[in-house]
Amino acid sequence: MIEFDHITRFYGAKPAVSDVTLAIPRGELFALLGPNGAGKTTTIKMLVGLLQPSHGAVRVCGRDVVKDPRGAHVHLGYVPDEPMLYDKLTGREFLRFIADMFGMPRHVGGRNIDREIENFELGDFADELTESYSLGMKQRLVFAASLLHDPAVLVLDEPMVGLDPRSVRIVKDLIKARTHEGMTVFMSTHTLAMAEELADRVGIMVRGNLRFLGTIGELRGQMALETTSLEHLYLQITAAPAYDGSRNDR
Amino acid sequence: MAQRDVASESCRALPLDAESRLFWWLRATIAWETLRSMVVGARLRVALVALLSLVFWGSLYGLFCEGFTFLDSIHAEVISLVFNAFFSSLMLMLVFSTAILLYGSMYCSREARLLLTLPARAEAIFAHKFQEALWFSSWGFVLLGSPMLVAYGVVRHAPWTYYALMLPFMIAFVVIPATVGGILCMSLVAWLGRIRLYAIVGAAVIAVVGLAWVGWMLVRPEPGAATSAAWFEKMFLKLSVTEQKFLPSWWLSTGLIEAARRGTRRGAGWAALMESLRFLALLVSNGMLLQVVAAWLARGTYRRGYSRLASGAPARRQQCREWWCDELLSNAGSSAGRPLRLLLVKDFRLFRRDIAQWSQFVIFFGLLGIYFLNLRSFHYNDAYASLISFLNLAVSGLILSTFTTRFIFPLISLEGRRFWILGLLPIHRDQIVLSKFIFAVVGSAPACCGLVLLSDLMLGVSWRLIAVHEFCCLVLCAGLSGIAVGFGALMPDLRESSSAKISSGFGGTLCLVVSSLFIMVVVLVAALPVHIGSVVQAVRGMPIQTGIIGWLGGGWGMAASLLLVGAIGIVGTMGPLRMGLRAFRRLEP
Repeated sequence: MIEFDHITRFYGAKPAVSDVTLAIPRGELFALLGPNGAGKTTTIKMLVGLLQPSHGAVRVCGRDVVKDPRGAHVHLGYVPDEPMLYDKLTGREFLRFIADMFGMPRHVGGRNIDREIENFELGDFADELTESYSLGMKQRLVFAASLLHDPAVLVLDEPMVGLDPRSVRIVKDLIKARTHEGMTVFMSTHTLAMAEELADRVGIMVRGNLRFLGTIGELRGQMALETTSLEHLYLQITAAPAYDGSRNDR
Repeated sequence: MAQRDVASESCRALPLDAESRLFWWLRATIAWETLRSMVVGARLRVALVALLSLVFWGSLYGLFCEGFTFLDSIHAEVISLVFNAFFSSLMLMLVFSTAILLYGSMYCSREARLLLTLPARAEAIFAHKFQEALWFSSWGFVLLGSPMLVAYGVVRHAPWTYYALMLPFMIAFVVIPATVGGILCMSLVAWLGRIRLYAIVGAAVIAVVGLAWVGWMLVRPEPGAATSAAWFEKMFLKLSVTEQKFLPSWWLSTGLIEAARRGTRRGAGWAALMESLRFLALLVSNGMLLQVVAAWLARGTYRRGYSRLASGAPARRQQCREWWCDELLSNAGSSAGRPLRLLLVKDFRLFRRDIAQWSQFVIFFGLLGIYFLNLRSFHYNDAYASLISFLNLAVSGLILSTFTTRFIFPLISLEGRRFWILGLLPIHRDQIVLSKFIFAVVGSAPACCGLVLLSDLMLGVSWRLIAVHEFCCLVLCAGLSGIAVGFGALMPDLRESSSAKISSGFGGTLCLVVSSLFIMVVVLVAALPVHIGSVVQAVRGMPIQTGIIGWLGGGWGMAASLLLVGAIGIVGTMGPLRMGLRAFRRLEP
């Protein structure tokens, strides 16, 4: 569903992402971990088409994001770290705009809007202007918008920021249910507990390189530390000068 | 496993016209909601803007009517030159203003980031942002151009078709320079990614300076020749450089002049109308061709340019050195005053590092300085020199008031967003407000007083008048700073992070209006005795020298007016400042 094929991205002369190769199959929830400035957001921006790789290619459902951005975007849902909404639209109008932009027929769009409003409990304020929303309400609306067209791939950049515990639970349950139904999720997060709870596989990125790729069990196996917490393993990998775990690409 | 149809079967590629309709719906909905909330929530502001626009439009109309009547009576052909000079200047400005607006909205806005992650065509996003930029960059053209064209039609007794064609002509015209601006912007970003904004702003500054220079070369007075036939001949020759037949400004002015022509013989009016329509078709077809080129360019370069622009992001990280004056101000004086001084150092530091603030300051005051420097070229008698010196004082005050409203008024609101930092510091809240006031006065007084001194020296007015102007200038700086800081503290907008949006709200508008009134009162009170004195001198020996008029025009009158100016200054400064201090003490962020 998602393929990163030897992608490199430079900022000036400095590589932000170096020769990353990664394939994520249908129905997998993949969590990308790493310290600040590791290249996670750059990777996500290349996946959603905001940035173009300096070398290599990114494909979503077989569509090259650079060569066929519209073809790729039809299959993508994206929740950015900072939600962008139109202040002078109501929540329902914003969802209508997104549904129309994805070319959904009116009756299907209307049905899906009602479904997501119910899923994310937006009913009480869906007809108010979004300028009056709190950060959590905005984030829930962006989640609803990203799932409106039943995307094959959902990309989440720090998705739980601003959400209250109940909303976090709603989002987690929805993500689990959707991945169970076949949706692929690519998530960047600093919340290790969430990665441990949700992710089928994790990738740990340090200074633009994928230092580790595999399941939590494989990580423990490679580090030969059966009982150590993910936090401990993460700190060890991100602190190590050159941990050789990236050979596990699949 | 229950498999949901996740391959987005419900989605279909949206045709281009449907995409365009969707963007139209988006803009219409947002515009309607913005207008509704303005009418409901800011009636005074809307009424004020509408009233001022009407007054402005009416004044311009009257001015143009008089001007065209005068020109018609001496040399009718000069109107074509005036049109060409006016439209070609506006054309150049529209190119750069649209390029800068498009740069901001296509490459730096959060909306662009959203739209680029949706299955929208790059050319459709460009068209959406272009129409927005076209509106923002050309409303001024309509506001300036429409009174001129209506006045021309009235003076020339133009047929109704002239008025019907006026708007289509203006719209068809503005599309051309705006599209050129769009093409320029996209090309610069795509192929000269690194220099991007600096290139556009640099080119705009060069164009504005160049335009000002060309304008000056065209209208600069030549000794002994003013208004003579030879002077007019020279003017025609200079202005004729704007009469190039390949310029859209020429198509526009010729088309409009043809449309206004009322035929004296049978069929001549019809022929003139056909000729006018030919020029309209020329404008429309060229605009459409340029739109096709821009759409093609957007399709090929927009996403690449957006991505390339981000390449330099970390390069913008820069280490900022401390200035010696920061260190000096931080450590000079008593320890009791140190918190206030530290707040001042912080504000000066932010001012230095915010290019938008100091560049606007430099541009506004720099242009005013250039104008003042050229005052010597004209020859005035004493009465005119005195009148112009007071007008220059008022202009300096007005420019300062736009600056204090735009940058000083929002300071407290922006501080409110960082209140959690300042609230935890061991300083009194009054010190925060006072530091803004001192910052504004210290920052503005040298520039304003220097400019007014320059104006007076160029005009050659007496030292007594220079002293009066400098005193008034100090009063203006203190008063305008007090009004901006006081109103800013009285009506803070703690939710908004954009200083531009804060200053364009109700509080900002009120601040600008009160500032303008303050300037008018100060300048009028100071100017009145000086001009009465001139009249008294002019009619020496007449009974006017005695009584209240004589007293007002003498030394006592001048002293009384300065005392009154001082009193107005104290009230104008302390009144808003005290109200602001009281409100800021009670503020709950």
